[in-house]
Amino acid sequence: MSVSLLLVPLAMAGAAAVQARAGGKSDGVCDVRTRMRDVTLLGEALRDTGATVVTSGETLTAVWGETKASATFTRDAEGIWGAHFTGVQQDRAIELVTAVDDAYGRRVQRAVLERLRDQAPAAGLRLESESVTDDAVRLVFEVERERA
Amino acid sequence: MTKPRIVVTVNGDGTVSAETLDILGDQCLDYIAVLEDLIGGRVESSAFTDDYTRQHHTAQEQQVNRDVDPA
Repeated sequence: MSVSLLLVPLAMAGAAAVQARAGGKSDGVCDVRTRMRDVTLLGEALRDTGATVVTSGETLTAVWGETKASATFTRDAEGIWGAHFTGVQQDRAIELVTAVDDAYGRRVQRAVLERLRDQAPAAGLRLESESVTDDAVRLVFEVERERA
Repeated sequence: MTKPRIVVTVNGDGTVSAETLDILGDQCLDYIAVLEDLIGGRVESSAFTDDYTRQHHTAQEQQVNRDVDPA
């Protein structure tokens, strides 16, 4: 054992579980910043939470059928998606974004696992074992050829 | 001899933790870029383990021994 690392996929702006920050306003308008960067994974995560998603240019509109809550997602200058809610209390907006964030994390996990399994052999790593603990997947790779 | 290994844990929140095992001294650093490429991400934080220092010293001692001209 020699070095331990914490890595963050580029699809995420940070490692914190939830980075939703709300700017509540008195008229029921609420903006929530997320850590999400990937539009495809965001769309999938929204659908995972039961939302209907409509894409129009650089904007995603999500409507949650049960509550009729809706949000418009747009990117900021750093490419990070934020949600704009109208007619929704701030607590509810954060609750919805937190649920989307959880679903997004699982989507990122799935994408990273797929990428690792596909590309590890070309990097000289052989998958020796794979196990699941709670919501984490542990992969052990044997180094087939050490780097020069 | 134990083969070198890398243990990668992909968490449900999308973050990834990784450890190198039985990779001597500075060689483990070569795998940081490999892992960044593999997961399509970047290192947020890193730490050497106790064994890094032990193995690093062992590697240095082996180098010193090789450099000593036998009488």
